[in-house]
Amino acid sequence: MKRVLVAALALLTTASLFADVPVRREEFIYSILAYNGRDYSGTFCREESDTIYLIADVDNFITTRKTFVYFWPITGDYKTDTSSLNEPQEGSLELFSRGQETQTESLSPMKYTYYNVRGEYELNWKVAKGEEAGQVWEHYSALVDAYWESLAAYQQEKMIYEMLLSELTKKIGELRQAGQDMSAVVEKLKSLEPPPEPKQPSEYIVPPVPVQQAFIINLPEGEYRIRFLNPDGSVMEGTEKKLVTFARKRSEGIAFEVIPGDRWTRPVESNTASSVLYVDGSSDLYLRPFFQLEFNDLFYEKMRKNDSLGNPNLYKWARIQQVPGAGIELTLPGRQATLVREEPFYVEQTQGSALGYQIVPFDPQGSHMGREPSLRAFHVPLEADTRSVSVRARDRQGTVLEGSSRQIRVVRDNRSGILLTLLALLPLAVLLLVRLKRKRVYGAP
Amino acid sequence: MNHRSHATRVLTLRRLQETLLSPGFYVAQVVGLFAGVYLITRFAASVDSSGFNFALDPVYDLIGRSLQGTFGQAFAAKLFSEGPFLFVLYMSFLPVLVYLALSSVFRFGLEKKAGAVELITYGPADGTACLLSYFVKDFLLTLTHLAVLIVFFAVAAALNNLVLGPLFFYSLGLLFFIALAVYAYGMLTTVLAPGNPASALAVFIGLLVFFLILMLGSFTVVSGYVRSLAATLAWIVQWFSPAYYWSLGFRAMETGNLPFFLLTVLLLSILTAAILTASHLIIKTRGVKA
Repeated sequence: MKRVLVAALALLTTASLFADVPVRREEFIYSILAYNGRDYSGTFCREESDTIYLIADVDNFITTRKTFVYFWPITGDYKTDTSSLNEPQEGSLELFSRGQETQTESLSPMKYTYYNVRGEYELNWKVAKGEEAGQVWEHYSALVDAYWESLAAYQQEKMIYEMLLSELTKKIGELRQAGQDMSAVVEKLKSLEPPPEPKQPSEYIVPPVPVQQAFIINLPEGEYRIRFLNPDGSVMEGTEKKLVTFARKRSEGIAFEVIPGDRWTRPVESNTASSVLYVDGSSDLYLRPFFQLEFNDLFYEKMRKNDSLGNPNLYKWARIQQVPGAGIELTLPGRQATLVREEPFYVEQTQGSALGYQIVPFDPQGSHMGREPSLRAFHVPLEADTRSVSVRARDRQGTVLEGSSRQIRVVRDNRSGILLTLLALLPLAVLLLVRLKRKRVYGAP
Repeated sequence: MNHRSHATRVLTLRRLQETLLSPGFYVAQVVGLFAGVYLITRFAASVDSSGFNFALDPVYDLIGRSLQGTFGQAFAAKLFSEGPFLFVLYMSFLPVLVYLALSSVFRFGLEKKAGAVELITYGPADGTACLLSYFVKDFLLTLTHLAVLIVFFAVAAALNNLVLGPLFFYSLGLLFFIALAVYAYGMLTTVLAPGNPASALAVFIGLLVFFLILMLGSFTVVSGYVRSLAATLAWIVQWFSPAYYWSLGFRAMETGNLPFFLLTVLLLSILTAAILTASHLIIKTRGVKA
């Protein structure tokens, strides 16, 4: 009996040695590739989720599939296991407005690709649909093929060049040993030039994705319902979802990305004009102005990640694109405003055993030769006696951008606590005075 | 009407005198101001080279986590976008609001029970004048406290190189009108509640908690929005809640929508007037006997 008990106990304890495998459930999901104002981000709507959120009047892509869905407690969100099951569902999508179930619109999957072409900054997204998608992909493929061809040719030419180089070097050595004139061969060696290295296609920041098929959703702001229809026209059970398309509330705002000089990996954002940036003044700041759009917090968060939380009563600013050709006007109290321009900087690790970074001006001819700048930003120097700096952005034409005014204030630990504590005790002093006066007048409190 | 306003004025002066001679109001003020001192100095200690960071101070870390978990990151960011004073204002105002509201409810209930109100109404004053005197007393003391807070925070801002900011000034106005609605509810509870002042107090606290829960239910982070019968009922009831007007006002403030903010204040004033009118009609009908 004892042995049985010991064995049972041992079996029970071994259970804790195995990993806690999450329960996977086969589900029909809507895979969503949603435009978030800056780029495309992917999420999915599982069976238990009742609503899909998308930005209005832009192209968003939805595909349908059966896959395994599980909750991952470490990150606290749902994930898909497409490596075990990824079964695209063929059929169409039925779309109708709220309360207008009779007026449905049937959507069929469409070929598409999306890409971001090079411009002054990063926001130049384009979507190609149908035939055009194929053409865009072919154009990109041709560019890539041409690049690979030129790369192959370059490697061939480089090999010949290196062979020639080695041959001439060898010949020079032989002539030197033989004590003969080698000037002609040396001249030939000097005249040899390496073949130019081919450049990668520079047309795209994000190249087109291979042509895929999806339901392309581009709807005005509103509430809709969607459901998936099988190829025979029947509705697939449990696929009906609410679809909320939402628009921005405000767009007249400028955000600043603020990078402290000693912690470039910890940038912060300043979104609203009334917001004040408090710093301890221990290092200079590097700013970058961005256009931004304001969206409902819940809608925007759910659009980016369908199982996230948000506050339906609040709006949040979403950073979109850096202001092209901007200038930043800095004003210190009692001094003339100065206009700062964007400059390249390089991030260097601090010397010594202490961890840390420092941002230094980029020196392409000197210590940073052959490297790329780590960041391009507007330098805001903070001196030891700086108390506040007013900042505002100007566009390329020099016009002050609405909603771009900010204050930077240097907060230092000045031991004001004692004085404030004494001030906070003032009401009790008033009580004491009132009581004393009353006692003097009436003889009792 | 002239008699009533004269009686209200005289009774208000008496109530003010009573309040200013007892330590309660001063202690509530000092508690609020101490909370302010602590939060302002800890804020200054939570600033590093990249700005204000909740994680640098254990108290702010707790506050930040609670706010972000309940109302979302966007709310926490907006609350501290101008500095500490918006949050500190709420924390410093709360003790005085609670003290004034609860003490008036308890005192009026006690006077009703002891027959003091009945005694006064045999003279030139009526029940409405008694009720209004408490309301006006709270009105004036709230104004005083807000004035004290402005001066105190202005000094704290100057000492620490901080800014009070537009959201702070919007909130001052909003808090004042919310406080008036709370005091009006206090009066309504007192005229409605039977005899015992403790029961009036319990009903009043219960009502405030109910409004708070309602507000938390509508202003917190959610995973989606639903249209159920409960949600519809809550939507109707929230128009009677001062806390709901706070959320409306906050939305107006953070989007810089002045007309919407003024509309919120107007609606709040209408609510306060309606509650006071209801209290007047009830006390007129039922009399002042406990």
